[in-house]
Amino acid sequence: MQKIVRRTIAAAAWIIIWQLVAMIIHNKILLAGPIDTVAALVSLSKTPSFWGSVWQTTGRILLGFFLGSVIGIILAYIAHEKSWVEDFLRPLVSALKSVPVASFVILLLIWFGSSNISIIICAMVVFPILYLNTLEGLKSTDVKLLEMAKVFRMPGGRRLRYIYLPQLSPFFKSAFKLAIGMSFKSGIAAEVIGQPLNTIGNGLYLSKIYLETADLFAWTIVVVLISFVCEKIITKVIDIL
Amino acid sequence: MTIEIKDVCKSFDGQQVLNNFNLNIESEHSYVITGPSGCGKTTLLRLILGLDECDSGSVKLLGDYKYPFINCGMVFQEDRLCEDYDAVTNVTMVSKKVFKETVIEELKKLLPEEALFKPVKELSGGQKRRVSIVRACAIPSDILIMDEPFTGLDEEARKTAIAYIRDKQGSGPLVITTHDTTGLEFGRIIDLGIAT
Repeated sequence: MQKIVRRTIAAAAWIIIWQLVAMIIHNKILLAGPIDTVAALVSLSKTPSFWGSVWQTTGRILLGFFLGSVIGIILAYIAHEKSWVEDFLRPLVSALKSVPVASFVILLLIWFGSSNISIIICAMVVFPILYLNTLEGLKSTDVKLLEMAKVFRMPGGRRLRYIYLPQLSPFFKSAFKLAIGMSFKSGIAAEVIGQPLNTIGNGLYLSKIYLETADLFAWTIVVVLISFVCEKIITKVIDIL
Repeated sequence: MTIEIKDVCKSFDGQQVLNNFNLNIESEHSYVITGPSGCGKTTLLRLILGLDECDSGSVKLLGDYKYPFINCGMVFQEDRLCEDYDAVTNVTMVSKKVFKETVIEELKKLLPEEALFKPVKELSGGQKRRVSIVRACAIPSDILIMDEPFTGLDEEARKTAIAYIRDKQGSGPLVITTHDTTGLEFGRIIDLGIAT
């Protein structure tokens, strides 16, 4: 309880500092304060395109997140079983980890256009995170328990539930937590560069064009909130599993 | 069933643990493998199970069996239990042919009732050992193989465990490794310290 109070006070203090700095600068283009940001958020939420943009962006980012996760987990399993697959995938994973998102976005814009860019970018960002964490988790699975399962001819589903999942759970937790945050960051960045219509990225871009700093902050708060909610839901799902 | 172990040699890091070892393991017979530490008791069990390969010689499953790999009820040298799950789950998880109600009854024969639904990590070493024994005996198997199954059991618990294993042996062979052969005189005692 004391921890929550301290955290709330700290957050409130930063909001007050933000408002004070905005009042001192006294220029809404350079820095919009929290009051202006909330006002912009309320105003944006009343526009017909706001909710469409939120759903469109969230849906695409979550789809990319889902695809990247599934591909990462499946390939990690295959790489764990066949070491040549791990060797084969190593350069690709290293490239996906180190090449800037902007480079991929521009390349994908040339190849596919802007409409589904955030889905592909999210999948590309999420894939190495899930792949590497799952592979590490599989490698750390207790070989003696696996041998026991082999001797008892334990069915595959039960091996997954009782041996693999408990060992993979902490790896999944940290990977999904990191991946969902990265998905929203990279997905929105891809939308800002690619500018597909009726998306949060497009809204952010328009804020920049019209120098609407309050709108920019309002869209940012929306992204942070969606990302936070998605992270909490995913963490809960893993806990249940 | 018969498992024919013929002229088996096995060494680790240049050290010979089994040297031209021969044995026929047959149904309805019990074998008590004894000998000092490092004489190859666990190695022999692993060769029988097909978990390791011998350097020379052969381990063959003779007779008409459905599986290339024998159906085995096994107690490992370590307990190899899923520590976060309770004793009942640890036994039921290994096979779809094992039912919860039966497992509870079986576990009650060796463990106090209050130990059945605690996570295994909260049980004593002896209690974990007994869960391993019940797990090995609960599944339908062609052979029972037990590597030091009585470690951590006091005299009374050991007697009860031996009686339980004997009761569950059925028509398949039973192979036990142990340092202490007390109470196991019903089986053919093979001293690896001498045999190899």
